[in-house]
Amino acid sequence: MIDLSVEIGSLQLANPVLTASGTFGYAEEFDGLFDLNEIGGIVTKTVTPRPRPGNPPRRIVELPGGMLNSIGLPNVGVEKFIIEKMPYLQSLKTAVIVNVAGTTEEGFAECVSRLEDVPGIAGYELNFSCPNVQHGTSYSTDANVAERITRNVRRLTKRILIAKLTPNVTSISEIGRAVQNGGADAVSAINTVIGMAVDINTRTARLATITGGYSGPAIKPIALAKVYELAQNLDIPIIAIGGIASAGDALEFMLAGASAFQVGTANFYQPDVTIKIKKGLESYCQEHNISHIKKVIGSLIT
Amino acid sequence: MMKKKLYQSKVVSVHQCARDIFLLRLHEPALAADSRSGQFVEIQTPQHPDILWRRPFSIHNTVPDEGLVEILFHAIGRGTQALAKTKAGSIVDILGPLGRSFEYEDNLKHALVVAGGLGIAPFKLMQRELARRGVPMTLFYGVGSADQLCDVAFFREQTDLRVSTIDGSQGFHGLVTDLLVDYLQKCDSLEGKTVYVCGPTPMMQRVQEIVTRFDIPAQVTLETIMACGFGACVGCVVRMAQPQRGEKEYFLACKDGPVFKMNEIIIDD
Repeated sequence: MIDLSVEIGSLQLANPVLTASGTFGYAEEFDGLFDLNEIGGIVTKTVTPRPRPGNPPRRIVELPGGMLNSIGLPNVGVEKFIIEKMPYLQSLKTAVIVNVAGTTEEGFAECVSRLEDVPGIAGYELNFSCPNVQHGTSYSTDANVAERITRNVRRLTKRILIAKLTPNVTSISEIGRAVQNGGADAVSAINTVIGMAVDINTRTARLATITGGYSGPAIKPIALAKVYELAQNLDIPIIAIGGIASAGDALEFMLAGASAFQVGTANFYQPDVTIKIKKGLESYCQEHNISHIKKVIGSLIT
Repeated sequence: MMKKKLYQSKVVSVHQCARDIFLLRLHEPALAADSRSGQFVEIQTPQHPDILWRRPFSIHNTVPDEGLVEILFHAIGRGTQALAKTKAGSIVDILGPLGRSFEYEDNLKHALVVAGGLGIAPFKLMQRELARRGVPMTLFYGVGSADQLCDVAFFREQTDLRVSTIDGSQGFHGLVTDLLVDYLQKCDSLEGKTVYVCGPTPMMQRVQEIVTRFDIPAQVTLETIMACGFGACVGCVVRMAQPQRGEKEYFLACKDGPVFKMNEIIIDD
């Protein structure tokens, strides 16, 4: 029997397979496609204090090996989230991590304080790195701001607190250290890479907002390098994100130092990819005679 | 409505039925039994792992007795060209049925269907659904040229078919929307009639103007770019005609649609 369990701070996950925010809705979208209780956890689509309609179309562009998006965090707002989305999430026997954001610094704390007495939430992921909202990136490109937001939220909760980092900075470790100082239990990295595509016939950008976030298999090498760098420089666990579409991809990140990982874009085109990855991890451990997946974490030979 | 599922479906046949247009027949009894007109499936492109997204295809027809699902598609991109070359017996990865189907009001007496080009796709299944209700269909079917027409024999037999071509190679020489206007002008009463439309954006925009002018109910099915087809990517947005500003301004084509009431959306270019 192979033990796939891992820990993120005080949170024990049955396995390291999580879903990335914004690629798995509020889980109910995937109901019936596979047994959601089999994966380690679900990170919800971002919730903000008040409803947001999101960005105008066109919001998505398919590119070779990846996609661009500029969705703009549409959501029903935290009040309706609790009423409309939480009941399904509460029915699951997997860790539920609510991704939160604010349009102001205070918005993050506002969301978390509203969610604190809602049962069935294992933790929060602070989305201060969405490239597609005004001020979105400044929260995660300024170490002082990132640290301050993290500290303010930390005061409100004993639940697991994860800070999601953008790769679009000079030094991701500097931001990582800042949120670690602010009290984050873990960091997740990377959010999307800022990107752009142009239609040469219409001479227009292919996204309504001109630039957006690039995701998918194409960004995996970038993500891997960032995760490796963070693992070298931080004391808190790293949750890897970036182009993971197979167990092999996930294992690369774990070898580079990630304690767990989130599957993102692949959920769109292979909705049951996470359960396949979980099975792939088991096969790998069996083949390599590894009794506990934890032994893989950071075991890269250099 | 039937819940969506992932299927590994066997290809029964793929054959060309018009210029660049192919008919894919899949054996998937559960889908064949429960899919409704206007719903769609997402198919993973065979042989092209670098093409990330599945592609959405309207369900053209079902043959429940034989467990068959028929998809009509335009082989214009790399993915659809690969699909056109798929051999009988091979397996395609398919997700469905997805989306909201066309709705038939209890007082529906006569369906006026406007199809442009491949926009004919959902209406074979609709014809069969309407036939069961005893509702006749008048089909305004516009294409660029006669060699782009599909299923003409079927529709001529089962519906009141009015063909138009841009180049005049068959039927009315001109736009299909002109046929619709002409028809509506000659109607004594529009009571019990509903317009159903699928086709290129300019055609749907024109139909939206026409049905507004004639004050006749209409439903439209939209084709948009989507990464997932089931509400996870939130990329396939359609502007609401009556938005709640700052809160909810868009529908999702995949989940709220692809079929919409004509008066609830704005059809963007």
